[in-house]
Amino acid sequence: MAEHEYSFSLTTFSPTGKLVQIEHALAAVGSGGTSLGIKARNGVVLVTEKKMPSILVDETSIQKVQLLSDNIGCVYSGVGPDARVLVRKGRKEAEVYGTTFGEPMPTGQQARYLASVMQEFTQSGGVRPFGVSLLVAGFDPAGEPQLFQVDPSGSYWRWKAAAIGKGMVNCKTFLEKRFNPDMDIEDAIHIAILTLKEVFDGEMTKSNIEVGVIREDRVFRNLTPDEIQDYLQEGDI
Amino acid sequence: MSDPMSYNGGTVLAMNGKNCCAIASDLRFGVNNIFVGRMHRIFPVGKKILVGYSGLASDCQTLNETIQLQTNLYSLREGRQISPHALTNLISTDLYEHRFGPLFVEPIVCGLDEKNEPYVCGADLLGCLSKPTDFIVSGTGMEMMMGACESFWRPDMEPEELLEVISQCFLAGLDRDALSGWGCVVHVITPTHTRTVYLKSRQD
Amino acid sequence: MVGANGESRYAPAPPKPSDPDGFCFHSPHPEVFSGQARHHHRHSHQNMASLKLQPADQKVLPKAKKTGTTICGLICHREGCVVLGADTRATSEAIIADKNCSKIHYLAPNIYCCGAGTAADTEHVTQLISSNLKLLRLNSGRQSRVDVACVLLKRHLFPYQGYVSAALVLGGVDFTGPHIYQVWPHGSTDSLDYVTMGSGSMAAMSMFESRYSHDLTLDQCKDLVHDAVLAGIFNDEGSGSNVDITIIERNKPAQILRNMDTPNTRLHPMRFQMPLKNTVVLREFIELHEAAPVAPAAVPAPAKKAEDEERAAMPLE
Repeated sequence: MAEHEYSFSLTTFSPTGKLVQIEHALAAVGSGGTSLGIKARNGVVLVTEKKMPSILVDETSIQKVQLLSDNIGCVYSGVGPDARVLVRKGRKEAEVYGTTFGEPMPTGQQARYLASVMQEFTQSGGVRPFGVSLLVAGFDPAGEPQLFQVDPSGSYWRWKAAAIGKGMVNCKTFLEKRFNPDMDIEDAIHIAILTLKEVFDGEMTKSNIEVGVIREDRVFRNLTPDEIQDYLQEGDI
Repeated sequence: MSDPMSYNGGTVLAMNGKNCCAIASDLRFGVNNIFVGRMHRIFPVGKKILVGYSGLASDCQTLNETIQLQTNLYSLREGRQISPHALTNLISTDLYEHRFGPLFVEPIVCGLDEKNEPYVCGADLLGCLSKPTDFIVSGTGMEMMMGACESFWRPDMEPEELLEVISQCFLAGLDRDALSGWGCVVHVITPTHTRTVYLKSRQD
Repeated sequence: MVGANGESRYAPAPPKPSDPDGFCFHSPHPEVFSGQARHHHRHSHQNMASLKLQPADQKVLPKAKKTGTTICGLICHREGCVVLGADTRATSEAIIADKNCSKIHYLAPNIYCCGAGTAADTEHVTQLISSNLKLLRLNSGRQSRVDVACVLLKRHLFPYQGYVSAALVLGGVDFTGPHIYQVWPHGSTDSLDYVTMGSGSMAAMSMFESRYSHDLTLDQCKDLVHDAVLAGIFNDEGSGSNVDITIIERNKPAQILRNMDTPNTRLHPMRFQMPLKNTVVLREFIELHEAAPVAPAAVPAPAKKAEDEERAAMPLE
């Protein structure tokens, strides 16, 4: 393929107008563990599968759903170490915003910032793009729940329900059938777990998935394994 | 040269009312004890928020320009107007950035917040905020006006009365401050409108 | 370099932490700070050049708001908790700039810090440290420790050689127990059972020295801190108004008792009703905020056009 000649440099377009490194980055996301998010009437839920390379790994040492600030959480699919860099930068930016304006950073601003970091890595010399997509959940200043997806290219969108990673296509089809904008956050958590189950290899347990929720109190919180267990039981999974 | 804070003279006073607030300033621009001309020292930041600056005139204008720049960028970025609370924090950060070579300005923010609650807040030249429930004064006439305000301010004043009280306190202070005067402007901010009034004041 | 001759009209400029000419404190492990909010360290020095041009013989310091202050804190060993106290007066020379300011600053859910000195410094230094503690908490997933807060504070203050004039009483409870630290503007710290700072520290310390013991219950500790702050309020002119107290207990949200005692409320307020439409108005403009129609306020008849009034009115923009 002629395009391979242009994959040596991230910042060089191929004759067909593609930046092939970005497509490779998206491929890295596409082979990562599935993550999905649903925006409910009164909150947002993020769910992800925590796929371990071996059963010998202690899964409590890995956290995929993370806090960016008290009121914003995120989850990634793709290359874990890359996500860590973004999370670190996002946390710092949230603090800078908070100390400058004395108000918590709005979710939209956080998504925009993360997207601008990711864009910068598609146009600079000597770097490669981030191999992750992020789902960012929080509330906007008007009190509306918000769910954003940020891609390695630096594009970002607002979603009602979104999925990234390996099971993205199947999850989206499932979510399109199940999504209802008026649903309660509790229903959204059940649907999110159910959707993840659609694409989950093997048995889903309290320790091989992660759930993060932000409710009307606007504090993003990771559910404990025991709380996840309750949802799994209620949903008969 | 004397203290830069009193080099050009000028005073700003802001007061809380019931669902309204008011800010007043004089119009004098001088060099030490010589009258040079008139200048405004209160500027709008979006709707329902006014910022008054007292201190060295050049620094007042510089700070105003940086604040206007930053709040305009904020509105474009976030698609909403900055709240008075966020604005005072921004001013405080900007002032403290110059901790060891300060801008000689004491700004006062006066406005209504998202819930139309009155918000009055002042900063010193290093960016230390003070948010009183009643009133705040800065500038060369501070000592004179504080006494008058302590006597005449009372809680829950309607816009009409607030205008009278802030005007009378301000004019009383002007009478005893040689470095302020030459006209007086008062703005009363209510949920529906901002009323701007030029007062008759002594011209010496 | 600015301030190299030491003859600025203002306090000589302290060296920037990164200044190669000046004395500075460099962390041998800069990576320790990566990801922390270091932006706050970077003060702009752009106005310093113009300050140097001013005559050196007249030394006029700009008037910044001070917290001539009584702050104190003690450890309640009996119940393993910490009590912090402060007055609420801020002064600008002899003027009371703020009658009810808040001097007990948040650093972390389990750590608070009282500040004395230049108000802007205490305000911003505590904000910076609180920000860094928050990042450390997010990145480590653990509760903040009081000694970490103390080290972050002294590492910030020491390079500024006392020019960041924040005298602090730092208190909190972590998994190692209750701690009270005294932090001096130059960056030295002491870990003690009971501590006072600010211009009213002598008055407050007299109460602590006569009444503190390891057997005090939490209520007794609270009363003691209250009385120590009152001693400052009534015996030190830099301190005044109300008493603020914060109690930090292990594994409990901190109790913030803002204005827990208000011994100096205004006596005999006049509540004067100002007659309306008394002030002579020259010109008047009304700017509507929303498109919604508003009954225009009755515009008074224009005042008679004397020449001085014309002069007084600003040209209409």
